[in-house]
Amino acid sequence: MRRRADRAPRGTVPRVRAAAGRPRKRGVDLSVDLGPLRLKNPIVAASGTFGYGTDFLPYLDLRDLGGFVTKGLSLLPRRGNAPPRTCETPSGMLNAIGLANVGVEAFLSEKLPALRDCGTAIIANVFGETQEEYVAVARRLNGAPGLAALELNLSCPNTEKGGLAFGVSPPVVRQVVAAVRRAAPDLPLIVKLTPNITDVAVAGSAAREGGADVLSLVNTFLGMAIDLETRRPVLDNVVGGLSGPAIKPLALYMVHRVYREVGLPVLGMGGISCAEDALEFMLAGSAAVQVGTLNFFDPTGSVRLVREIEAWCRSAGVRAVRDLTGTLRLPAGRPPAPCSG
Amino acid sequence: MPSDIAAPVIRHDVLGRDHFLLTLECPAIAREARAGQFVMLRAGRGFQPLLRRPMSICRVLPGRRGRIQILYKIVGEGTRCLSQQPVGATVPTLGPLGNGFRLAPDGTRPILVAGGIGIAIFPFLVEALRAARRATPLLIYGARANRDLVALDFFRARDVPMRLATEDGSRGTKGFVTRILEPLLARKDRGPRMEIFACGPTPMLKAVRERALGAGVPCQLALESQMPCGIGVCLGCVVGCPPDERGPIFRRVCAEGPVFGAEEVVL
Ligand SMILES: Cc1cc2nc3c(=O)[nH]c(=O)nc-3n(C[C@H](O)[C@H](O)[C@H](O)COP(=O)(O)OP(=O)(O)OC[C@H]3O[C@@H](n4cnc5c(N)ncnc54)[C@H](O)[C@@H]3O)c2cc1C
Ligand SMILES: Cc1cc2nc3c(=O)[nH]c(=O)nc-3n(C[C@H](O)[C@H](O)[C@H](O)COP(=O)(O)O)c2cc1C
Ligand code: FES
Repeated sequence: MRRRADRAPRGTVPRVRAAAGRPRKRGVDLSVDLGPLRLKNPIVAASGTFGYGTDFLPYLDLRDLGGFVTKGLSLLPRRGNAPPRTCETPSGMLNAIGLANVGVEAFLSEKLPALRDCGTAIIANVFGETQEEYVAVARRLNGAPGLAALELNLSCPNTEKGGLAFGVSPPVVRQVVAAVRRAAPDLPLIVKLTPNITDVAVAGSAAREGGADVLSLVNTFLGMAIDLETRRPVLDNVVGGLSGPAIKPLALYMVHRVYREVGLPVLGMGGISCAEDALEFMLAGSAAVQVGTLNFFDPTGSVRLVREIEAWCRSAGVRAVRDLTGTLRLPAGRPPAPCSG
Repeated sequence: MPSDIAAPVIRHDVLGRDHFLLTLECPAIAREARAGQFVMLRAGRGFQPLLRRPMSICRVLPGRRGRIQILYKIVGEGTRCLSQQPVGATVPTLGPLGNGFRLAPDGTRPILVAGGIGIAIFPFLVEALRAARRATPLLIYGARANRDLVALDFFRARDVPMRLATEDGSRGTKGFVTRILEPLLARKDRGPRMEIFACGPTPMLKAVRERALGAGVPCQLALESQMPCGIGVCLGCVVGCPPDERGPIFRRVCAEGPVFGAEEVVL
């Protein structure tokens, strides 16, 4: 395993007391808490990269994951954008799927029952084109048997605001989060922030004020690709969302910032492809992480990360993985500098 | 059920300019594979390229070792990386994926139409047709130039009649495969029923589809598309299908295809 992250801070390294007689290999406690949501380990498969869970059954045991997030659910089924919908870019990919999904009713009647007793946390990703749609989907999911939490995707274009994403306007964020909070009072509420905003912490604070329990970030960065030969955009939709290792440093900084500024548990993601990446996100403040694009090029990668994190903790003498969250060692006395160069 | 296997490279042969024949050992995949299915190969180690590349299963070799062959052409970074994998290296191989061809019913003459590297899908189909004791197919195979026509020995050794076309006229009919297909479809005395199986670049498939639908000849198309995952979860690889009253319908090439009936898709 590559060693990139620092060893755990000295204070957190527990002394391993050998049991009387032969020394015993201590298990690492991988469980993590995100506000009201407890996960058995910190690896969660991200929305849009894991279908509705069952597609991965040939490759992995869902019980080995901390949880997974469904494809974004809308009130009615959606067919999505015309192809081409994706394009590979250096160390990443652009997608403009167009939020195609089966709709909340088919999810409840067909997908969710197939997942009963799957042994991992099922998180339903919710979006709408209007605040009413968010509310209606959330209300329908509230109390659904087997659901562990809702994740609100705020990157969806708001048709009532000229197609601007909900997540870019802090007052809109506060409003839609508060409305969903009321509509689904029984489920932990994760709010997923868009990175396509000047200061993600401002949107995060608005989500907290609206009643979010957890913040997840980041969704994809807006980007485009051009075919020089045809002089056309590669994606039919012109613009798409960038994901994969290319966005990791951007995402890591945003997680760091939101953790420091907002004061809610953070579920970080963006380009994670190995245990070290995941651990870095935890040092920056993530209580758990999501993995997205990794599921495409390595369908068993998510569970490999769980094993590698456990091994890393054991070798670093970390007894509980949750002890790592936010243990980044910052240079003493230096104010955060937003500038580069 | 598909599996993800670190498959050792058993052989890696150069077949003329830019074309390679890769032999991988992956028994679980070889056992389940059917003609027309594909695998997702991880071509390199790092992130360049990041995503796996879809490749048709060209052949399942006889014998107990569970070996498959991939016939491919270098067109970019991924295929270039793949071509540098030496014997003994392992290539992460996920499959078999997708739905294969439906074999033509008894008494039907299969017409195989290949454009360029689309030829890679047909050796497996030829062997499957033979194993099922179906009529010997006719192969219509077009490429840019003579040197881009590969794997001819395979078909010759199995007595598959071939009609070749090259865009530059360096071998066979000058022009596209449709120049051979069209008169065949137009003949009044077509003889026994036929069914077309086509694989190649989208413009070719489009042309073949139109001719087949026009002549009322059943036709299966093996489509290509950008495939980030290959297992049906990203929804990235879709093809447009005839719309209904609510608008366009999209289907996943990796999961509902890659083989579609000509009438099922709009190209
Ligand atoms: C189901 C399926 C089976 C396939 N089987 C084979 C096979 O047996 N042998 C083989 O050589 N190739 C096959 N292909 C195509 C192969 O996957 C691509 O050639 C490969 O992904 C290109 O990767 P690259 O990184 O080398 O090129 P890239 O850098 O990705 O692309 C180079 C150029 O090729 C074009 N291109 C890339 N992928 C495709 C594609 N899928 N369709 C059309 N144009 C494309 C790009 O637009 C670009 O212009 C298959 C594709 C599919 C979907
Ligand atoms: C093909 C694709 C589809 C996605 N669909 C959704 C979605 O429906 N809802 C959502 O909140 N995020 C969606 N995402 C964003 C991911 O969940 C994740 O936030 C992003 O990809 C960054 O993580 P990664 O770099 O690990 O992939 C999608 C991402 C990809 C690549
Ligand atoms: S390639 Fe991902 S759904 Fe087909």
